[in-house]
Amino acid sequence: MSSTNISDISWYYDFPPFFTLQPNLDTRRKQLDAWCSLVLDYCRLKKIFTFDVNDAKKFPLFFNTKINRQLDNNFIQVLLEELRSRGNIEWQDKNKRHCLVLWKSIEEWAKTVHHWITSRGMNGTVCTFYELLYSDDTLSAEFHKIDENLFRRILMELERRGQATVFSDNGAEGVKFL
Amino acid sequence: MGSLFGKKSHKSSRQPAITEQDRAILQLKQQRDRLNQNRRRIETQLEREREVAKQLLKNGQKERALLLLRKKKMLEMQLDKSEGILENVERMTHELEFAQVQVDVVNSLRQGTDALKKMNEILKLEDIEKLMEDSREAMEYQNEVSNLLAGSLSRADEQDVEAELDELIRAEEAQHIGRLPDVPQRRERERDRIPVISPTRVKQRVLAEAD
Repeated sequence: MSSTNISDISWYYDFPPFFTLQPNLDTRRKQLDAWCSLVLDYCRLKKIFTFDVNDAKKFPLFFNTKINRQLDNNFIQVLLEELRSRGNIEWQDKNKRHCLVLWKSIEEWAKTVHHWITSRGMNGTVCTFYELLYSDDTLSAEFHKIDENLFRRILMELERRGQATVFSDNGAEGVKFL
Repeated sequence: MGSLFGKKSHKSSRQPAITEQDRAILQLKQQRDRLNQNRRRIETQLEREREVAKQLLKNGQKERALLLLRKKKMLEMQLDKSEGILENVERMTHELEFAQVQVDVVNSLRQGTDALKKMNEILKLEDIEKLMEDSREAMEYQNEVSNLLAGSLSRADEQDVEAELDELIRAEEAQHIGRLPDVPQRRERERDRIPVISPTRVKQRVLAEAD
């Protein structure tokens, strides 16, 4: 998937006005819709789970070298706020610099993890975070090597549903699934 | 994040409780993870050192290559050792997990037995005997009632009923007797027609019928 061109997932990516916030509200709405789905598609494709505003200048999607256009800071802020209001990003800090990118909602992630656990008969067992995220056992699982903060957030959701308990013992962090 | 505390308040009621065994398993699994990490590290190191040794040999630095290979050998031995430890840790983890399952099973069996005992207390033998006696009496009473009700027809009525029954039986028999002679007649007529067909066909047909 790494060779996929961004233009392949969106034809308007090479359209210069796409990179300038449109003054007409109707047009702007459509433009933001398109940007939101582009960001989510891109992150899903590249398996990106977090975004740091400080690194926005390094985020390949916000640059189109082919037409020599890039998003300015204001546009990025508007776009992030739009994504947040749709529940597609979740700020990790008060300063709104670092966020989780949720191209799959926390609820869906929680279901995925729980389904995986159940299908392997691992209910009632204790697992380490490392085992779930990095071991060969989870190679085929969708949550293999996902961002640890996102993983914690998913476990929090599972705790809320009463399907897991996160605990630590002598610095070892683990989770018990129900 | 403020809502975190609100969520924690009902944590204990709905979520699986963490036991001492769970903590022990977590510790074991963490050791397993560490051993796995260690193994991965040694494996990549071995890979790299093999490359470096090759390079050294190419450059004619035989002494250093030998030194490196010795170090590599040591790492390999360490790797073997850690494999052994890993196996032990994993076996221990499995045993702990299985023991926990066994404890759960025994507890469930005990619960089941207790429940069964309680049920049996409800079903006292004398009570059952009394119940069966009562139900037999009730059944007898019911029979008596039906007999009384059936007996409400007069003698004459009974005779009429029996006469009608006899008539029905006779009619049925007469029908049977009247129909019986028809069967051979039809057969004969069929047989009369057979000579019209060639004798071989008849033979064939007879054989077929015999089958």
